[in-house]
Amino acid sequence: MFMPVATQASLKGLTPGQLARTGCNLCLNNTYHLGLKPGQETLEKIGGAHVLQGWNGNILTDSGGFQMVSLLKLAKVTEEGVRFLSPHEDGVPMLLTPEHSISLQNTIGSDIIMQLDDVIATTSPDTERMKEAMERSIRWLDRCIAAHKKPETQNLFCIIQGGLDLKMRKVCCEEMARRDTPGVAIGGLSGGEDKVSYCQVVNACTSWLPQNKPRYVMGVGYPEDLLVSVALGADMFDCVWPTRTARFGNAIVSTGTLNLRHASFANDFTTIEADCTCPCCRPEDQGGLNITRAYAHHVASKETAGAHLLTMHNVHYLLSLMGKVRAAIIEDRYPEFLHAYFRKAYGGDMTRVPTWAVTALREVGVDLLT
Amino acid sequence: MAGHLSKLVSFQLSRPQSDKDEPRVGRLTFKGRSPIDTPHYVAVSSRGAVPHLSQDMMRDNTSIRALYTAVEDSSSYWSPQVIEKSSHQSQVPPAFNFPASPDESPLRKFIALQKDVLLILGTRRIPPLPCAASSTSSAISIITSLGFGMLEYTDYAEAIQKLRPDIALGMGDVLFGHKPGVKRKEAMGDRTLAWLKELISAMENEEDGTPRTALFAPILPIETEQQTYYLHALQDELKDSVSGLVLYDSASVDAIPESLRGLPRLSLGDATSPHKLLDAMALGIDAFTVPFITDATDAGIALDFSFPAHSDTNLEKRLSLGIDMWSSTFVNDVSPLLTDCECYTCKNHHRAFVQHLLNAKEMLGWVLLQLHNHHIVDGFFAGARNSIHNGSFKGDRAMFKKTYAALPAKTGQGPRVRGYQFRSEGKGGPRKNPIAYRPLDDGNKELAKVILPSPDDDAENLEQQRFPEKVK
Repeated sequence: MFMPVATQASLKGLTPGQLARTGCNLCLNNTYHLGLKPGQETLEKIGGAHVLQGWNGNILTDSGGFQMVSLLKLAKVTEEGVRFLSPHEDGVPMLLTPEHSISLQNTIGSDIIMQLDDVIATTSPDTERMKEAMERSIRWLDRCIAAHKKPETQNLFCIIQGGLDLKMRKVCCEEMARRDTPGVAIGGLSGGEDKVSYCQVVNACTSWLPQNKPRYVMGVGYPEDLLVSVALGADMFDCVWPTRTARFGNAIVSTGTLNLRHASFANDFTTIEADCTCPCCRPEDQGGLNITRAYAHHVASKETAGAHLLTMHNVHYLLSLMGKVRAAIIEDRYPEFLHAYFRKAYGGDMTRVPTWAVTALREVGVDLLT
Repeated sequence: MAGHLSKLVSFQLSRPQSDKDEPRVGRLTFKGRSPIDTPHYVAVSSRGAVPHLSQDMMRDNTSIRALYTAVEDSSSYWSPQVIEKSSHQSQVPPAFNFPASPDESPLRKFIALQKDVLLILGTRRIPPLPCAASSTSSAISIITSLGFGMLEYTDYAEAIQKLRPDIALGMGDVLFGHKPGVKRKEAMGDRTLAWLKELISAMENEEDGTPRTALFAPILPIETEQQTYYLHALQDELKDSVSGLVLYDSASVDAIPESLRGLPRLSLGDATSPHKLLDAMALGIDAFTVPFITDATDAGIALDFSFPAHSDTNLEKRLSLGIDMWSSTFVNDVSPLLTDCECYTCKNHHRAFVQHLLNAKEMLGWVLLQLHNHHIVDGFFAGARNSIHNGSFKGDRAMFKKTYAALPAKTGQGPRVRGYQFRSEGKGGPRKNPIAYRPLDDGNKELAKVILPSPDDDAENLEQQRFPEKVK
């Protein structure tokens, strides 16, 4: 399953109705951002994020911990929690503790909440710090579980840490699995590590994790990463890439990404992708808008409505891709599906498929080159 | 010709003007489109979309019946700079090439406009930006997204032929930003007439002789005497080729010749408030572009008025025409923007969300306000039509003036403005968009000053160190 990211309680210009029409029923909100705006007091009074944004689907919130990696220069981590200067409120120092994070997420009322973890870049060479982060994440998980006030309505997911060190990952998987949270996230990835290491960590973790819990790999959204990760045993993904790239005028299609700002699309009167069933590409007689590449080019980076259109298309693309993935798995033809997808994406030339993908899929018994 | 045109478009006044200071009610019917009861508003588009509204939002959640588009928006390819910069590019606007059958409009298909909405094409964006260059005997000055350019009347005629909008507005030689001198005024009439004649003859050269576009002729925003020659020609020679009139200033209704008084009148953009709209209606204007809708939206203002005004005779103070949604008083307010409002925004969302979205600079805030504001103006016009029909317009208008003051001032920040939406004042002018990001390193020094609490510090201690309140 892919989950689009509605950072500040809105998916980049789309109404909740438009988001639902892309096929979405679970989206992300960022705890860190909602904690700053509109703030916990308001969320409390209003009755949570569902009411705030008028969204009847499900919401997953992160812990605010990812902002530690992305704003590391501004943050210091101690056993108590993470201390950082708010970039929004003119550098007011703020503290985020596991209790604080869970309390905020309890107020937000998201259906899936994440533990606060100690995230450091997987590429960090400091094994001692990595070990400390992994062990601290386990201690913080215990504090999160203890602080969690609504376990009957909100599902707390733990987050496996340990960088690229498989031994550490194993310890973390075992310790966290023992805590029996409703779901498990594999964290710290998508932070600049190479794809081979990424696949090794995902493959190893999924082999140690219990079968009956959803496994969520955070920050993954490129179509081929999703397909390989699913093959390696992961279930849930989120990423800002499809929506962000839409705002830059890029459309995701089965052959890759089209930069619709390029002049070559100015006179391209075909829909963004043939046979796409998203609200933009669908023909008018099926309730669609029949938006062409030429029009997307005309408005890309010029009118926000252009960003909205491409955002709908891109989110729909990934959600429908995952729908096809599920169908293929259920019908026991996922290897064939992978073959067909990569063949199309690389113009029929399987030797162009990146080595990391070929290797990773070979690990789980799918050989793209045969 | 006249016979063909009347099959394409018709305008019936169900309540004609009885005297000069009386509004009128009518119905504009265009073949294949939903009929439009007048007075009515014409939504203004930017690059083919109503600002902030994707095509599905407009189709599903507004009652927009007519859309104004500007050639200026699709003419970046005519700008000389571009032709120099990228000679490989086609010099023809892409919309010209859009595949369409003879009875379809390539422009409508290009901008993915729904079939029932009346499509109007004019030269300049609304509101137009003043151009440095003045018009010549064959062209007006325009600003495209790539810079200044000249729009030749022959190019405009070609655009109309190729794009086949429902209604094309004649190209008026009108100055924006300053007043014309006496000599210039004479030239305005002469040029506008010459260009109009060229447009008509170009449009009559349609291959199968079936007109698909109706032409609205300009009435110039100058004294009647200054354009007498043009008006006479309009009345005597061109009457049968003209289906309506376009005004740049509502006050120029007086210049409309007697025999053209039955034609629909579209006023472009001088109605800066509902009060001004009512004044223009009273002069007998039938259709309006209403720039204050998007202005209010961009300013974060939810329009709040109805016509006739729900009168409260004991009103101590005149009411504001809108609510500034930036106000922090709405932070926890889960009521709709307006009670009983039937718009998409009010039925599905609340003030707290819109306030949050503005505050977080999320695009959806402006989307929701734009839907609401169009709905309010839609209701305003429906109310006005009813009132005119019932003969109570005069009193209702007076009551409206007594009830409402002005639109609230803009306090918050608007959406990011683009190059074609403002006129650059050269180097050293104020920045149009505030800087969104600053280097993260800025905070480093500040961070170093922070005393780190020890792990066993309790919440009270932390609070004293300016940390946010610990959650109970």
